[in-house]
Amino acid sequence: MSMLEQYGLLLGLIIGTAGFVLSLYALARTLGKVRQEPGKDVPATAGQLSRDPVWVRYHAHFYGYALLFLAFDMEMAYMYPWAVVYKQVGLVALLDMGIFLAILFLGLLYGWSQGALRRQ
Amino acid sequence: MIAGARQGRPSALRRLVAAAMARDLGTFIIPGPDIARTHGLDIEATGLHRVTSPRHASVLLVIGAIPPSLRESAAVVYAQMARPRVLFVLGTDKLFPLPAADVMADLSQQELIKGVRQLRSAFAEGAFYPEVSDFDAPVLQVRIEYTCPMHPEIVRDEPGSCPICGMNLVLREAQAKAGHLHIDHQEMGASMDMETASTHAHGSHHSIDHGAPVEYTCPMHPEVVQDEPGSCPKCGMDLVPRDAPAESSHEHHHMAHDEPVEYTCPMHPEVVQHEPGSCPKCGMDLEPRETQNKQSHKHSGMDHNGMDSDMDHSSMDHGDMAFMSMIDVTKDLPRSGDGLPMEWIEAPFGPFFPGLPSGLLLTLTLDGDTVAGSNARSLIENGELLQSSSMDTGSFVERLTSFDPLAPVAYRYLACRVLENVAGMDVSANTANARIGALERERIASHLGWLALFAQQTGFDWLMRRTTSLQLKFQHADLEQIVALKPAILTLTKRLQRTPLLKSRMAGIGLLARDATLRGPVARATGIGDDARSTDKVYTTLGFKTVSRKTGDALARLHVRLDEIIHSLALIEAAGAIELPVPTIIGEVSGTGEAVVETPRGVARLRLTLEMGKVTTAQLDTPSTHHLALINPLIEQQELGDALLAVGSLDLSPWEVRQ
Amino acid sequence: MTTVLLLLLLAVGAYLVAVVEDWTVSGRFRLAAPVLAGIALLGRESIVPRKPDRIFFEVAPFLLLVSAILGAAVVPLTPDLIITDMATGALFINAALVYVLVALLMAGWGPDGAYAMIGGWRFLGQLIAYAMLIVMPITAVVMRAESLLTTQVVVSQAGVWNIIYQPLGFILFFIAAMALAFLPPFDLTTSKGELAGGVEAEYTGVRLAVFRLGRLALIITLAAATVIFYLGGWQGPLLPPWAWSTIKILAVTTIMLLAGRYMPRIREADLLAWCWMLGIPLALLNILLVGVLVLVFP
Repeated sequence: MSMLEQYGLLLGLIIGTAGFVLSLYALARTLGKVRQEPGKDVPATAGQLSRDPVWVRYHAHFYGYALLFLAFDMEMAYMYPWAVVYKQVGLVALLDMGIFLAILFLGLLYGWSQGALRRQ
Repeated sequence: MIAGARQGRPSALRRLVAAAMARDLGTFIIPGPDIARTHGLDIEATGLHRVTSPRHASVLLVIGAIPPSLRESAAVVYAQMARPRVLFVLGTDKLFPLPAADVMADLSQQELIKGVRQLRSAFAEGAFYPEVSDFDAPVLQVRIEYTCPMHPEIVRDEPGSCPICGMNLVLREAQAKAGHLHIDHQEMGASMDMETASTHAHGSHHSIDHGAPVEYTCPMHPEVVQDEPGSCPKCGMDLVPRDAPAESSHEHHHMAHDEPVEYTCPMHPEVVQHEPGSCPKCGMDLEPRETQNKQSHKHSGMDHNGMDSDMDHSSMDHGDMAFMSMIDVTKDLPRSGDGLPMEWIEAPFGPFFPGLPSGLLLTLTLDGDTVAGSNARSLIENGELLQSSSMDTGSFVERLTSFDPLAPVAYRYLACRVLENVAGMDVSANTANARIGALERERIASHLGWLALFAQQTGFDWLMRRTTSLQLKFQHADLEQIVALKPAILTLTKRLQRTPLLKSRMAGIGLLARDATLRGPVARATGIGDDARSTDKVYTTLGFKTVSRKTGDALARLHVRLDEIIHSLALIEAAGAIELPVPTIIGEVSGTGEAVVETPRGVARLRLTLEMGKVTTAQLDTPSTHHLALINPLIEQQELGDALLAVGSLDLSPWEVRQ
Repeated sequence: MTTVLLLLLLAVGAYLVAVVEDWTVSGRFRLAAPVLAGIALLGRESIVPRKPDRIFFEVAPFLLLVSAILGAAVVPLTPDLIITDMATGALFINAALVYVLVALLMAGWGPDGAYAMIGGWRFLGQLIAYAMLIVMPITAVVMRAESLLTTQVVVSQAGVWNIIYQPLGFILFFIAAMALAFLPPFDLTTSKGELAGGVEAEYTGVRLAVFRLGRLALIITLAAATVIFYLGGWQGPLLPPWAWSTIKILAVTTIMLLAGRYMPRIREADLLAWCWMLGIPLALLNILLVGVLVLVFP
């Protein structure tokens, strides 16, 4: 199959899954509607009703890791094609990427030393 | 016909589905699996399988008599279960506000199994029913009211306009229960309903000045000022008292103080706070400065229909605003430990939270996944010890036995001891040894139950199953069975020591310093060698030694409890007999006396006055009452998982907390 | 036709995962349990919480299922039995599985409830921990195979399976795969003890059924990926290729489901610290070692 056909097939898979899920929902709907009762739609919190919304700015404590993750993710984007031609290119490929990885690794070490790799 | 049926005529498809549902019964246990185990019930063996969220449950299993406040929470849980739902009640008939039980049975394992059979057929037949009615309870009611954002004292039942300023009244959903206002604004983002002002970790601690007129203001919206306590109409927080400068008491209808003082860091001008302190970035003392444009606080709660997720500061009245930097926008937000202004939420964890003792209501103020503040209380009010001004000793002993279902033998022993102390009598050595056997057996069972709770909390399934089955075996085991179970306990301890990730999970969590208020294994884990058994001569003849560890963290408490289990096994073998304490006949004595017992959670003390053989006064001091107060400082600034682990490691029994 | 066959096999595989999971929990082999559970879930009400983010709430279970199925689309069971043998297969599987994060964040944010939200955001922390440890071992595998075609990756293991050739990569990938599938001890997002079910808790009825189906499909996709990348896929003596694939995938699934029962849940701070301070240097070392090995033994 050509690439386009493959992606077409995958899109078909997505649509097919959507159809499957919707038909399951429809089947469940034939069994009855949800009865709206007081207190039923409040998110379950172990016995106490808590109607407050929780859509707030969430304080994630791992932003130090997240910044380094960005850098490494960019690196991984380069590594995929490199890995495919690696054996063909030989030692030069190892050295080239080795330098790149070494620089990134130094960045990791720097972040570590500055206290980025901990729960902020 | 079950009360929680789904509406519909039982067609063929529905009957098939109902039959499938009858085989797959997810159960939510009230008050909790710990109580189920102490009653000797093995829930999993009957085919019911325990779930941790009411949404996944189709059976609500109520075990034993439940105090009224827990019944209300049980009604909330019942209301949140998806239909078809069944109420299965063991051993009690006082259920209000829950509906009538669909299946009732006595409190025993055989009755439970019979009840499950009944349950299955009830489900298969009654899951769909043509007419059903809603379940309603006072605790679920919501009162819709309309209030003016600028004048919170104006509350009406229909929409309209504020008589003072003419603004449209906005809708507010409030819990119908008095004293609990959970305000749910359509236009607001983070609404924070605080029960006590002490949970505003960021807020200023205003001391009440009885000289000047006391005003009440919202820590997050300082322009909201009132003369009496209430809730902030913008965010729902309780208003805190504040020292009132004379002129603002006259101006409390207007927004914005004349010149509220702000505190800023000389080196970091973006750090701005309303009260003095130190700069989170460099630690310097903040200096006062006059504010700039305060329009950011005006009109911030009005007519925002499309607003969902941001705080009201960020979608402003855009008419005549000057530019507002993020510093101004986030000025009033609570600041966390690393200086970032983030928004906090308040979430209840309890009373039926799967990882915590049942009956404990832990309300946490969460900053992300860090605990910024907490409020722990037991929802079980056990009331007065004495049901009448003079109670006969037999019923007093029974009262004390049923006082804490998690440690009945210890309290029974305590009651018997105190009566004997008042009467000046003593029991024979054999009886004393047998009593100690029972006491130590209960200690083992209680510690195994705690291990099961710990395993549930940390997702350690194998340990949970193992300790559950061992606890059930130990509850009523006689001496030979206990000796036969000893190798199982030893292998359990060995395997537990070698568990990967256990040390990293628990070391350093829930650190407690040595303190005189600590009791029981919690105290002994910090190195205090206090144990009421060390002063008891019966125990010393049996070879009792106090076990203790030094570190004072959750891991040390685990080890102390494991060591105590092994030591209790040795004590039981030395005692040679197990018999529940029976009160001795003391006749018509008068006097006062005191006794102590080392319950599995710590030392409990009972002081009693007898008059002519009847109990007239009694004072009971229990360990969990003191340990409850430890929670707040213990989990401050801890990550949620660590906080729950720390609370769990205290081994609280909400049943024995005396208010 | 192969598509339909493979989807059926995926469904059967998910069913078997459910049976195995039930066995690890209850100790008994109940073959009918997943069917009964599925039908029972269909019959229950599917409650929508008050004022949810409706799009997020509805899309999340579906997205979880879709990302697992897309991941499974590039996994070969035998040299001919693969839905789409994409030239970028090994990269695509990672791309598809990233949507697990999106699905769980949506499931966390949608219901507007405290436990779900914390569960959702915790999974983001988990992703930052495991994501590199999925990608770097795959890179090392691709280095040996000289191609991103998953079939080629299996063929390249003809002499020596990658578990022996690059054991370090295997360990890291296995742990990261368990973290991706939020299996214990990495079940920070749906923890029963700490969050009363977390993101899963607000779903009931048919939506919960789709969520659980998605999770089962995810587990089997990850087990299949482990087998493809490290355990030689369909290769083995005597038995036909599809039998070997099935046996290996089920074995890996069983180990993944069993491992977490014997440990407490990991702390998020520990997971992040170990993955970044220990895991990434080891993954880089793995790439270096494989690079040398590939050049030395052509």
